This record gives sequence, C-alpha cells and structure tokens, in this order.
Amino acid sequence: MSLFKRLIYYSLLISSSALWNTAEAQDYEFEIPAEEEVAKLEINGNLDAKWGILQTNRTSPVYGLQFFGQDIPGDYLSQYRLDFYLNGDYQYKQVGFTMRTFSQYTNEKSFELSFYELYGSLNLSPRFTFSVGKRRYNWGKGYAFNPVGYVNTEKDPENPDLAMAGKSSVQLQYNRSISSGFIQNLSISAIVLPQEANILEKYSKTGDLSAAFKLYMLINNIDLDFMFNIGPGQRRRYGMDFSTNLRENIEIHGEASYSNGEEMSIIINNAVQMNEASGFSYLLGLRYLAPWNMTVIADYYHNNSGLSQQEYQDYQAYLLNNLITGDADLIDETRFVMTNSFRSRNLMRDYIYVKASMPEPFKWLYSSISVFTIYNLNDNSFILSPQIGYKPFTNTEILLWPSFLFGKKDSEYGSKHFQKKLEIWFRFYF
Amino acid sequence: MDEVLSPGSVEFYRKLINEEPDGDKKEFIFYTVKKDRDKVAMLYLAPASDKGRATLRLGDNMWLYIPNVGKPIRITSMQSIVGGVFNNSDIMRLDYSAEYNAVKLDESGDSYILDLKAKTRTVSYDSLKMWVIKKNNIVQKVECYAPSGKLIKTLEFKQVKDFGDGIVRPSVIETTSPLYRDYKSVMIYSAIKRKKLQNEVFTLDYLSRLGELR
Repeated sequence: MSLFKRLIYYSLLISSSALWNTAEAQDYEFEIPAEEEVAKLEINGNLDAKWGILQTNRTSPVYGLQFFGQDIPGDYLSQYRLDFYLNGDYQYKQVGFTMRTFSQYTNEKSFELSFYELYGSLNLSPRFTFSVGKRRYNWGKGYAFNPVGYVNTEKDPENPDLAMAGKSSVQLQYNRSISSGFIQNLSISAIVLPQEANILEKYSKTGDLSAAFKLYMLINNIDLDFMFNIGPGQRRRYGMDFSTNLRENIEIHGEASYSNGEEMSIIINNAVQMNEASGFSYLLGLRYLAPWNMTVIADYYHNNSGLSQQEYQDYQAYLLNNLITGDADLIDETRFVMTNSFRSRNLMRDYIYVKASMPEPFKWLYSSISVFTIYNLNDNSFILSPQIGYKPFTNTEILLWPSFLFGKKDSEYGSKHFQKKLEIWFRFYF
Repeated sequence: MDEVLSPGSVEFYRKLINEEPDGDKKEFIFYTVKKDRDKVAMLYLAPASDKGRATLRLGDNMWLYIPNVGKPIRITSMQSIVGGVFNNSDIMRLDYSAEYNAVKLDESGDSYILDLKAKTRTVSYDSLKMWVIKKNNIVQKVECYAPSGKLIKTLEFKQVKDFGDGIVRPSVIETTSPLYRDYKSVMIYSAIKRKKLQNEVFTLDYLSRLGELR
C-alpha cells in the first residue's frame, strides 16, 4: 500500500460552484508526500540571512567592557550574518535518530557549527520511549519565562521561539491514556543530566549529576505538571505548572517553583559573592484571542533569585569601577564574571511580558504584525519591539524587527550595550 | 450522521486551500488520525515551513506542537493556526454529538434541518444549523452562529465519494464567512482508511512521533 501511495495522485474532482471555477479544479489534485515502509529519513531546515544595525550605548559599562580596546568611530554598528539550521530525522522500526545543527557565518574566519540536538531514541511502544544524547527540553507553560524549566536551556525572552541548544541527557518516558476516570492522560519523565565536560574540555567530576522528574496529568481539562529537580550539592527544587482554556478564546497558565537554596551572584564591596536564595519563583499568564483576530499573551514573572534594584546598581557600579581602571587583566576577569555569574538575559526579580500579534492587519495580505514589551517592574525600564512579517512566497519569510530600550542609565534595559536596534531577516525553508 | 463523516478509528490525508482576496492560494497537507468521538491528532506534511508541526485535540482541549519550540502549547478553538476561514476547531473537528445537543428537528423536502446548541462555553460556535440528507444521513451544509445569533461561517459538504471499506462521505468541504468576505477555504479529503490506534497516540508525548504512524 505504501508504494501505491507514493506513485499515485489522488484526484479529487469538484463540481463547478459559485466559489470555484472550472479552471481551478486542478487544485483538488494532490500528491500525498511519500512514506517509507522500512526506514524514514527526513532532512529539512532553514537559512536566515540577517542584517542588523544598532545604536550603541557608549555610557554603558557593558558596552565599554565588550568593546574594550576596539576603535569604534560613531554611535552605530552593523552586522550581516547567515544562520543555517539543518535538521535530520531517521526512523527504522523502533529506533530513531535526531540531529539538529546550527551554523553561523559572519565572515570566513568565524564560521561556527554546533549540534543543538543529537540523540538516539528507542520508541518501544506508544507508551515507552528512551533517549540518549543531547536533547532540548522545554518544561513550563510560560511563553518567555519558565521558573519550572529545570532542564531547559535558557530562552531568549525577546525571541522565545528561537531554536536553542539542548543538554546532554538520558531520558525515560512513560505515557498513558486513560479513557475514563478523573485523570484523562498521565505521563512520567525521568531525566538524568551529566555535568558538561569542564576539565580539559573532556572530563567532569564524578557525582556532578543532576536529575529531574516530571509527572503530567490531564485532569478535568486542566494540564497539570509536578516537577522535582536535584542537582549537584543536593540542591532541590520543587515545581508545578498548569494551563487550561476558560473560554473558546481564553487560555490561562501558571508556574510555581520552590528552591531550598538557589545560587545567585551578588556584588558586595566591589567583589563577587555567592548567595543562596530560598523561596518561590512563579509566573501567571493568559492568552486571549480578541474578536478582531488579535492574540494577546500576557505573563507576570517573579524570579526569587533575581537581583533587587540596589543589587543591580551595585553590579553596574562593579562593572564601571573595573572598566575605568583600564587594566586589561581586570577587564578580562570582569568580562568572565559578566558572562558566567551574571549571564541570565534578565537578571532582576519582577517582569511583565506582553505580546500582541495579528495576521493580515488592514487586509495587508501575507503580512503579520506584532509588538511585545518586557517591562522590569523593579526599575521601570523596558524594551518595546514591534515586528512586521511578510510571506510573499511559500517557504519564504521577511521580517522587519526594530527594538527600542528605555530606562535610566543604571537600570537593566537602560544599561544594555545598545539603545536601539533594527534587524531585517530573510528566511528560506526547505 | 457523525458515523458517516467520521467512521470509528481512521487515518486520512487532507489538503487545505486558503484562497486570498488577490486570488493567490496557500496550501497545506495534513495527515490525520481520529478515534472515538473526541480524539483527533494531525501532522503537517507540507509546506516545508510548517512540516513537523502537530496538533492534538481531546474533547475541549487542543494543543499545538512546534518542533523548534519543543513542547506542546495549549491553544483555543477559535484561533486559526493556518489562517484562512477555517479555525482550529473546524480543522480538528470532533463528532458533532460530542460538542452539541440537538434542540430542534425540522424537515424540508429530502433534508432534515437540525438546530444544535453547544454543550459548553469552550466550544467554538454557540449554535449550528445543519442540513442532512434524509436517505443517507450525509451532511450537506452547516451554518455556525455566535451567541448573539450572528452568522460566523457556512460549511458546505460536497463531492460524496466511496473511499472503500464502507466509508462513503463528502470529500470536499468549502467554507465562507461574512467576517472574511474576500477569503475562501476548501478542505479536500483523501485516502480515508480504518486503522487500529492505541489511545496513547492521542497524548502530548506522542505528538512529536505522529509520523511513525504513516
């Protein structure tokens, strides 16, 4: 039967109607994409050509550290780069193999290739799966932030749908549908994550494993997850999330995570110190479809291990104090602190994320518009970023994406290394 | 009538054509499996930009899986993930009896005319008016109404076809809407076959593996 499907066209004829004339009848013929009886190999991906220009923020210590020693005339920088995503999936009976690669080209000398995902899986039945390798997980219901994302790679809140690198892991998953009863569906995931090689880039210390477990249930039309994570040093985190539809156009969701000792870096007396924060991080949000076809996503996020306004100002003062010394070694050390101890894209405690999007506004065909903001409630700084998308042809997309940052000099968004940014993307799928 | 449109546990392929006001068309191809009255899962086969996406519907619950995002996201029935006149609940339609109660039955010539009322507030349309051919219980037309009584869209079922194994049903659904005056959408059914499906096929964890069923 498989061969049969591959070779024939299913001709579907339609009688003439007021809507569709005879010349369009050929639209009702389509070929079913091929299936393979024994082994399936699928290759796909996309190429993103991106051009960007940004107005730098020369008063920002982050800018000073990032471009220390560089002679940059004027206030503007531009960038042209190619992002290439190549994905492969191979399936032979119960055995699967998945590869997702990312390559970035900015010039001949800096070509980067990385495996975002690379894992094998045993799909023993629709109920049991087992996978080993590098795999991306995405726990939590929030759109831009996930306090219960214990096994997630940190998202870019400004582009949460962007493909990200996974983590080396072993996963066992059990999945059960229960047709009748209080619980409709049930799933259990157990994930073990070895520490990344940090000794000579090949080894890590024994015992540096972490593990995470998740129990999912669909109860009375509510998605409900309970999570548990234990990491190096026996640090434990407990979490839950939920989502449900209130109406035909309203969905609500939430996450809560308790940690008994989340590590956080703070600056005291111009030096980095490790602190432990115990308590709850949480998120509450909704997705609403307005009658005029606009979708609004709104999330409130509290990060218990985030910095207070004073702690963030101390961090900025630390960066500035070390920058103005002009000492190259100290500046290298400060850069290391910046990209390791304070590497999160959003370092503070309370945020509101709002995104509104609409397809084909004002009857502009093949277009879409959206605007999002991430508002820092602790220092009243924010990013405002509208987007205009246009899909002139199938598998082609053009995106115009400006971003504007607002806030005082020592605020989170006011201290970024740029103030305004404009990006243009050309995306081709295959 | 539901048994005619969705006979038991089945797999099928569908092509969705959205015609834009300028006459241009956007096309999608889906592989779909359906079981019982209220379980539907669907995999996008084309175009390349959407390939690998999958949706699941269990009763009033719907989710969308996007490979890049890596997790199913709960969606609502009134959204349309493919644009055009069809919304999510049209594309992932359950048996009508799973979502609506018949409140009135009239006859007109060779057709029954049924008034249906939504069972819950999460159902897309508050009420439906349905025309069904008496002799074979095949649906001809469905009008979908908002709570205000405003007509939202009309679905017309055409091209009755024998798919084999006792499955005889309309193979084309056309839809128009006064809310999308210059848009037209058509769904074409092909290769409908009975298939034994485990219930676990209709779970969130299985969405990324739907292609294994083909």
